[in-house]
Amino acid sequence: MSGRAAIVHDLALEDYGFGGDHPFDPLRVRLALELCETLGLLEDYAFVSSGPATDEDLTTVHSLTYVRMVQKAGGGSSPLSDLLDYGLGTPDNPVFPGIHEACARVVGGVLAASRLVMAGEADHAMCISGGLHHAMRSRASGFCVYNDAGVAISRLKEEHPGIRIAYVDTDAHHGDGVQWMFYSDPDVLTVSMHESGRYLFPGSGGIQERGRHDGVGYSVNVPLEPFTDDESWISCFEAIVPEVLRAFDPDLILSQNGCDGHALDPLTHLSATTRFYEHVPRRVHDLAHELCRGRWVATGGGGYDIWRVVPRAWTALWAAVSHQELPEIVPEDWLSKWSEKSPVGLPPLVRDAPEDYPPRARAAKIAERNLRTAEEVVDTVLPGLQ
Amino acid sequence: MLLVGDSMTREIVTLAPDETVGTALALCRERRIRHLPVLSEGRLVGIVSDRDLRSATPAFGEPERAAALQKVLVEDVMADDVISALPDDPIEQAANTMRERRIGCLPVVESGELVGIITASDVMKALVYLVGANEPGSRMEVAVPDRPGSLAGAAGVFGMCGINIVSVAMGPTREPEEEGSVRERIVVFRVDTIDTSEAVRYLEEAGYSVLWPPKA
Repeated sequence: MSGRAAIVHDLALEDYGFGGDHPFDPLRVRLALELCETLGLLEDYAFVSSGPATDEDLTTVHSLTYVRMVQKAGGGSSPLSDLLDYGLGTPDNPVFPGIHEACARVVGGVLAASRLVMAGEADHAMCISGGLHHAMRSRASGFCVYNDAGVAISRLKEEHPGIRIAYVDTDAHHGDGVQWMFYSDPDVLTVSMHESGRYLFPGSGGIQERGRHDGVGYSVNVPLEPFTDDESWISCFEAIVPEVLRAFDPDLILSQNGCDGHALDPLTHLSATTRFYEHVPRRVHDLAHELCRGRWVATGGGGYDIWRVVPRAWTALWAAVSHQELPEIVPEDWLSKWSEKSPVGLPPLVRDAPEDYPPRARAAKIAERNLRTAEEVVDTVLPGLQ
Repeated sequence: MLLVGDSMTREIVTLAPDETVGTALALCRERRIRHLPVLSEGRLVGIVSDRDLRSATPAFGEPERAAALQKVLVEDVMADDVISALPDDPIEQAANTMRERRIGCLPVVESGELVGIITASDVMKALVYLVGANEPGSRMEVAVPDRPGSLAGAAGVFGMCGINIVSVAMGPTREPEEEGSVRERIVVFRVDTIDTSEAVRYLEEAGYSVLWPPKA
């Protein structure tokens, strides 16, 4: 099973970043796409460009007051105390010139990818700059100003009445913004697997967050133990995601592919490797074919080891989206171009070597706890969906 | 803040002593509640829980059940030595009373009149708000010496980094990790940031030990 793929990108999407030492660095997008290109994975694919999301697009999920505040902030005329009420001007979400335009472009990219897929012009589409899942209705949060998935889902719901969308989020952080936007909506299933909120931002995403009113059962959360490895994460993913997606029977799958659950990521405490980041998109791809004629939109997300992890994880994502073999070796051209700028040694292979990530002493205990979580999720969620 | 009156439920479903157990059980089911205060002429005279009601009647399937539901009265099964709370009692006092007496709720009485009811789940809700767990944030645990100024010093680091504190909870003292040093307290901060690394660095430079997040 394979489908036609599209990649939505242009240079303007790389303007979304906070500058300086901020961990959210758009260079990671450049590194990932150049790795794809050097590996020959973009040969048959031209970048599809897209415009910025309009104010009308943004206000499907954001308040107009907030959008105006972001616009004003980017022009540099807002006092800090006004910004702070909207989560802006903090160390996480500092204001930069053109912040509105840059983020509206990201939203526009994901929106364009979603429309390509719904129009049948592509079966799968990727916009790697997307995945800003923490942005709230009236508040920037966790490096996210506007919520691209939220806007895309809302617009698709308007354009295709009755559509059912499954959102699958494997970022290390809970996909709180998207979850809360569709918390009462039984036509939007949100599934988030993340490091437990007890240990990691944003703190939410417990099993008991299952939706509200008509949406009860349509928010699925799988909080994982710190130091969860590939083996355990993949077993939980397999125990839950295929079954809940089959029970929900979506018309489109939107996946958020943050890769900050990698063992090397500086912001989280999970212990995945490229094995996980190769596995997940392949499975989502197969589920899209099984359940919704291949309709799948993939975005990026978190990922803060921009040198060793993000380029390879997102190359694996694009390989799955475009149904190409994932090559084994990181090309010399890419390595020589970037190794001087990288503060860390760059891995020569596309896949992590398992021997570099030996199981942790507590791995069995961690896996056991995660398994119990997965069982509880399956027991409490599935009956509601069937 | 943190008074019984802030967290109690004000819409109370009550019973009269001469209503039947059948009526009472139906109310519990319909309104999804487990505790019903009993009022006589406006005064609180007792309280029944769904458990009291069930144990006072024959189980499902027993032939006598239907008759008992109609015959047994609330006043026959209610507890009449009711422990109540005042609206301006601190919530921790109500929580402690419920824990010590092993009861699930306290009717709240002011000037002889029933004004609300506080249940274990109201207390849990207050706890969630207190620790700020309903707002996005990162949880951090910091051990501080049990000395004046330690909490201010640790909190000041977040201020210096421009990070807002969503909630703070400080625990009782514990023996220090290193023998001979002063006793310490663990402080749990919830802070509005996805990236705690800078704050961790400054906290450690200032001599505090950060227990969570762990070292990579």
